[in-house]
Amino acid sequence: MMISGEERRQAPVAPVSPVRKEGDGGGPSEPDVKRPDTSDLLKRMRRVDPDAARRYRQRSGQ
Amino acid sequence: MDRLIGIETEYGIVVDGLSAADWVNESMAVVRGYSGSAVQGWNYRGEDARRDMRGFTVKSLNTNPDDAVFDTASRHPMSHEEERSDRILANGARFYNDHGHPEYATPECRGLFDLVAHDRAGERIVLDSALRRAASTSRGVTIYKNNTDFHGSSYGTHEGYLMRRSVETSTLISTLLPFFASRCVYAGAGKAGVENASGTDADRYQLSQRADFVAVEASVDTLHNRPLVNTRDEPHATPSKYRRLHVICGDANMSEVATALKVGSTALVLQLLEDGWTSPVKLRDPVRTARNISRDLSFKLAYEQDGGTSIRAIDMQRAYLTAAEQRFAGCDDETDWVLQEWRTVLDVLETDFTKLADRLDWVAKYLLLDEFRQEEGLPWNDAHIQSLDLAYHNIDRNEGLYYGLEEAGAMRRLVTDSRVDAAVSCPPSDTRAYLRGLIIKRFGSAVKRTGWNGILFHHNGEDLLFDMNPLVEANVRVLNEEFATAQTLDEVVNIIRRNGQSN
Repeated sequence: MMISGEERRQAPVAPVSPVRKEGDGGGPSEPDVKRPDTSDLLKRMRRVDPDAARRYRQRSGQ
Repeated sequence: MDRLIGIETEYGIVVDGLSAADWVNESMAVVRGYSGSAVQGWNYRGEDARRDMRGFTVKSLNTNPDDAVFDTASRHPMSHEEERSDRILANGARFYNDHGHPEYATPECRGLFDLVAHDRAGERIVLDSALRRAASTSRGVTIYKNNTDFHGSSYGTHEGYLMRRSVETSTLISTLLPFFASRCVYAGAGKAGVENASGTDADRYQLSQRADFVAVEASVDTLHNRPLVNTRDEPHATPSKYRRLHVICGDANMSEVATALKVGSTALVLQLLEDGWTSPVKLRDPVRTARNISRDLSFKLAYEQDGGTSIRAIDMQRAYLTAAEQRFAGCDDETDWVLQEWRTVLDVLETDFTKLADRLDWVAKYLLLDEFRQEEGLPWNDAHIQSLDLAYHNIDRNEGLYYGLEEAGAMRRLVTDSRVDAAVSCPPSDTRAYLRGLIIKRFGSAVKRTGWNGILFHHNGEDLLFDMNPLVEANVRVLNEEFATAQTLDEVVNIIRRNGQSN
């Protein structure tokens, strides 16, 4: 078992949310796509190994 | 909405310096790296993946013969239990190795936005375990939440929906086929290139990662010759009353809106079926239609129906949406959110899909990749473009392109980071997952085996099975509250016995 005695003595598990409620971001809205600051995104794209997909192999899953 | 729902995600894995032959061992190691409260030992009571809801059990399930190349003689034989390395977590989730993929199955949720939070919590849990593995070996571990390796291997993101067994199987299948064939217009994660289709022009972008791997309309198989409608019959609940619809044709979504819309719209279609509604859309060839819809970004193509008429993908979806609006509008906040978002998305797809880049994965990724592709003069199936596609699904918050978009404020959120943080360790309060999580967290040393529908304890010299099959309705809340007050295992056992849930 991976349970420690200390963990077992903790208070009851707190609910994630006491009641079902709407998403924290509010209801749906009409699309309003503003151009975001993409400087960090471009850095991320530049860090991507262009051969990553060529080497990428996975076993079949379900 | 009021049904148990869940998402199981098989993640792609890469470990620096190793190959796909190592992924079983590496996935096991990632799972075993989990450091939070958990118990081991899965309870397979009532589970048989060969059982088909059409009333028969197949002798064996199809496997992909191509995987034999990864099975090396050097790998030492393992028991099923050792290979799975199950960890059942204090948030009620299951984390294990499935065919060389770390798999995270969310706890049963009842609320749509709870499910979104738990799906995202899964990303954090898997990443945290992967980083722990990497630190212990000094080999980098990269985890992808996607469904393809771009070389013909696919791995799944499955949805589970509890529903009434009273819906006829044939009706269920015929109504779901056009819905699943066209759902990728909003639920697709997007894919650069085409797989498993010789002679097809692969220089294209698709809506769906998974459409290339759908081979038949309905089947119990999941590893090979995959179906649009999976007919596995494992209810994880009282079998005479319930089915669990196991959906395997969907994509892994990074976007919270796409996840919520995918699950929410499907749940409403099941509600329609339970109300006796059946789809007026009857496709002549649902499998071929699913593939063609995935490859049409114009949304103008129409697909042949029985009887000779034809229908566009968006209109297929409108048929389901309109029926759901007529019956369920105003039922509850989540239903209204789904109905409004569903209509908005279909309307905008008719005019300019780029306006949906803040909420649909396939659009966000398309815009990201297409600008680069055009600047570099590369085809969609170029390895560099597919590498960027893969990077969109990297769950490392500092590297993944989806996370880059999210950080830039370009993606709509439905749940706060604090809610996701809570879901990492806390189960939903309104399902039986709460009972599972509480027992694991507080009395884990007494647990021998845990499953979706039961927990086997050892207590006072005897084994006791806590039967959770009946605990699938909203009134489980009362039992959850009673459990929360229990200070000792004796009290837990007394509550179980008083409620008639022990065997």
